[in-house]
Amino acid sequence: MGLLTAAAWGVAPFSLLGGLSLSLLVLTALKLREAKQRREYRLVSLLQLVTAGLLGAQQGELGSSLLQGLAVLVALAGLLQLELGEVTNLGKLLRRSGQLVLAALPMALVLFLLFPRLGPFSDLGRLGQFGAAATTGLSTTLEPGTIATLTQDRSPAARVAFPGGGPPPASQRLWRVLVHGQFDGQSWRSLNAGMAGAGMAEADIAAGPDPSLGAPQTPGATQVWLSEPNGLPEVPWSGAGLPLDRHLKRDGQGQLRHDGSVGVRKLYSLAAEPAPATWRRQAPTAQDLQMAAGTNPRLETLAAGWRRQGSGDAQAVGGAKAVEGAKAVEGAKAVEGAKAVALAEAWFRQQGFRYSLSNPLLPETAPLDALLFEQRQGFCGHYASALSALMRAAGVPARVVSGYRGGTWVVPLGGSAFLDLRQSDAHAWSEVWIAGEGWRTVDPTLWVLGGTTGGDPAATSVQAPSAGADRAGPLDWVARQWWGLDLAWGEWWLGFDQRSQERLLQRLLGPYRDWAGALLLVAVALTLALGLAAYGWLRRRGEGDRLQQELNQLLRSCARGGLVPMPGETLGQFGQRLRQARPLLGPELEDFVGLLQQLRYGRPGAPQQQGLDRLSRCGQSLRRQLRRSPS
Amino acid sequence: MGSGAPPRLSRWLPLQQGEVLKLGLRNLYIVPTGFGWLWLGGALFLQLVGIQTQTNGSVLLSFLMLALQLLSLHLTHGQLEGLEVRCGQPEPAFAGETAAYPLIVRVQSACEGLEWRLPPGALHGVGSLGPGEHPLALEWTPGRRGLQRPGPLRLQTTAPLGLFVCWSRWQPPTAQLIYPAPKPGPVRQVPMANWRERTEAVGALGGEGSEEWQDLRPHRRGDSSSRMAWKLLAQGRGAQTKRFQDPRLEPSLWAPDPTLPPEEALEHLCDRLCQLHRQGQSYGLALAGLQIAPDRGSSHRDRCLEALALCQ
Repeated sequence: MGLLTAAAWGVAPFSLLGGLSLSLLVLTALKLREAKQRREYRLVSLLQLVTAGLLGAQQGELGSSLLQGLAVLVALAGLLQLELGEVTNLGKLLRRSGQLVLAALPMALVLFLLFPRLGPFSDLGRLGQFGAAATTGLSTTLEPGTIATLTQDRSPAARVAFPGGGPPPASQRLWRVLVHGQFDGQSWRSLNAGMAGAGMAEADIAAGPDPSLGAPQTPGATQVWLSEPNGLPEVPWSGAGLPLDRHLKRDGQGQLRHDGSVGVRKLYSLAAEPAPATWRRQAPTAQDLQMAAGTNPRLETLAAGWRRQGSGDAQAVGGAKAVEGAKAVEGAKAVEGAKAVALAEAWFRQQGFRYSLSNPLLPETAPLDALLFEQRQGFCGHYASALSALMRAAGVPARVVSGYRGGTWVVPLGGSAFLDLRQSDAHAWSEVWIAGEGWRTVDPTLWVLGGTTGGDPAATSVQAPSAGADRAGPLDWVARQWWGLDLAWGEWWLGFDQRSQERLLQRLLGPYRDWAGALLLVAVALTLALGLAAYGWLRRRGEGDRLQQELNQLLRSCARGGLVPMPGETLGQFGQRLRQARPLLGPELEDFVGLLQQLRYGRPGAPQQQGLDRLSRCGQSLRRQLRRSPS
Repeated sequence: MGSGAPPRLSRWLPLQQGEVLKLGLRNLYIVPTGFGWLWLGGALFLQLVGIQTQTNGSVLLSFLMLALQLLSLHLTHGQLEGLEVRCGQPEPAFAGETAAYPLIVRVQSACEGLEWRLPPGALHGVGSLGPGEHPLALEWTPGRRGLQRPGPLRLQTTAPLGLFVCWSRWQPPTAQLIYPAPKPGPVRQVPMANWRERTEAVGALGGEGSEEWQDLRPHRRGDSSSRMAWKLLAQGRGAQTKRFQDPRLEPSLWAPDPTLPPEEALEHLCDRLCQLHRQGQSYGLALAGLQIAPDRGSSHRDRCLEALALCQ
């Protein structure tokens, strides 16, 4: 029970599955408390198994899977105990249940690999988000000051592995999570899921039978993410890639949403997509120009100057005001977007802004004016807000994006190499609509720090927002090794789906694909026979004459040291010879030989079990000594 | 659990006969228990959850449960397969009381979670039996006197996981001698005409006992010191040994009370004989067409009781 509770740790209690498994857990505990008869205990074991399975449906990472596996073993051990009727010790029971699972595992794996997979029945999986309590992490509202606390936080945010390739160059390591498109003069808000998704969410392609099934060219995962719970349905990604998980949806703003429970870790993967991401070309709406006019007058004046410069050729000054539809925006601001960015960059670089993590609070009225013209210091959130506001004031559609930047590339001893993202890697930047190009990522923090935008690798050397350098303590090291294994598990565990199964069948059977059913039957029969044989062998090995087993073990240890009984030599004689060869073994060897002979040939009556236990302890100690002094 | 469905089914299945029951494919039956069906339901439920959520964890566990069930079918069958059962020599017992019926079970490899039942009664667990021969004493309560065979023996196991129940039914061939149930009540005493003369003769032969003090005789070597007359020795009257003799009760033949229903009369007689045996008295038995002369001792008692048990 304890194991299950541990395994259930972190399950979102308000999602359908989470609620079901938690209530099952409580039910199991209550049933266990009141159970008196065998049938009731059996029910407890079954409930425990089902709960473990439900938890498995929610938490797929390595640690949870191990706990779930252990809970299954314990449940089986409970059943065995009920049937065998004798009070055996827990270790023995667990060994027995381990033997059973080992015997059943080949068949289970065959079924797992070959049994036809079905797509989900309906979209019930979405039920799970009415308890979205915000925990730490990124916030849907970006007000200068909120990320300051985040940057101090070294707790893990996410890990990403890149199967079949190394990490992207440092300059491209921007991991987007939230897009803040709503500006009220003070704060940037992210549009809520319903609004943003309206008409723009792309259908996820992983679910349902693929028309091209059977064609093995479906790409494998190129990003495997393990994201810590952050209280948001949006999860980090690179901004490009095809979701391989039916829980994942990309929206028109370039956010990736996971419709699982928000309070749990999420393991998901993305495949490479040959075409560029569609969200980059998603035309801006009036929303992307929305600006609480008059809230930051000095900023607006500055932007108005840029607008005049940028549209000096022929465009009407008031053009931006007339813009209502996306199409109009695109047409009218063809040159202005890129030019405005260039003007802004030049201006930012001239102003001598300072990057600082601790800043005085900005006033409630005209906060961005205070930032740009008085305080002149801040961090990524400040500068991204200011730049996006400036762009909007200049009539260029712009928005703020928050997520993570950089990350530490970790190559653990075992498992997959991965990029380790901490909460302190949280970052905010701007996206500006450039006609003909789409949404361009512009990071004003780099200008402030003296770097350059674009693909210049030099920019990457500037550890922009992250305060702490990579201080990896021993605990961090252990955690990273574990995460490496965790991700490797995730790659394998998440990677196997309907399509992988199809590929496997294709590879196994080739043109005889129709024979898959027969193959399944044959494989099940074979693994059943194999399981029975393996179980029998394991049982036989575990049973039999314990005296002989103990003696054999000791003789094997002796033989490794070159001491073998001569033909016709009795155990006593061999013991004496051994004592001469290894004087250190003296008293214990005598004990062992004496006990063995007494148990085998002595008068019955002395408690047999105690003698056997003593003999086995003696044997263990002797073998240890023999190992230590092999010659 | 597991004892519910099979008995209903058992009625339609042939009962095994013969001196030795060797369990094998032809006489073992196996069906899922209620728990087994529930287990299957649990596995299917997890499969549905796995399909709906497209997670491998639930799918694998569900297949593991199915695989365990399939494996368990063979393992449960394997527990009983090869088992050989034959009867031991049963000791006589009284009707209405718990009797032990001996069986000898020969196990080839190992047999776990063996349970048995003799009607009418509940299931009894035997536990695990290692390879070799094991004597088992099955308890049952015979209802009637005579040479009785316990009803069909049911041997079953649900080990190792309780998903299947595998069983066989067998009629043990050896009958057990069952005495009438001893119940206190009236019996008829038949006086013996020539008893006095016979006992006088026996008494003259010097029969000694331990109940009543008779007289003294001079102490001889080898006499028990507990019988030494210490008081006389202290008075200086020499070493004397006390002599005792058992009371001479008049033995008689006992017969069932003809006024009672015959079975009831036999039960009362059985009780009286047991009582007399406990008191160490001599008694005889007079039944229709059979007379057993008065005597004492266990073998005499057994002979009398056997006569009662088999009386027609």
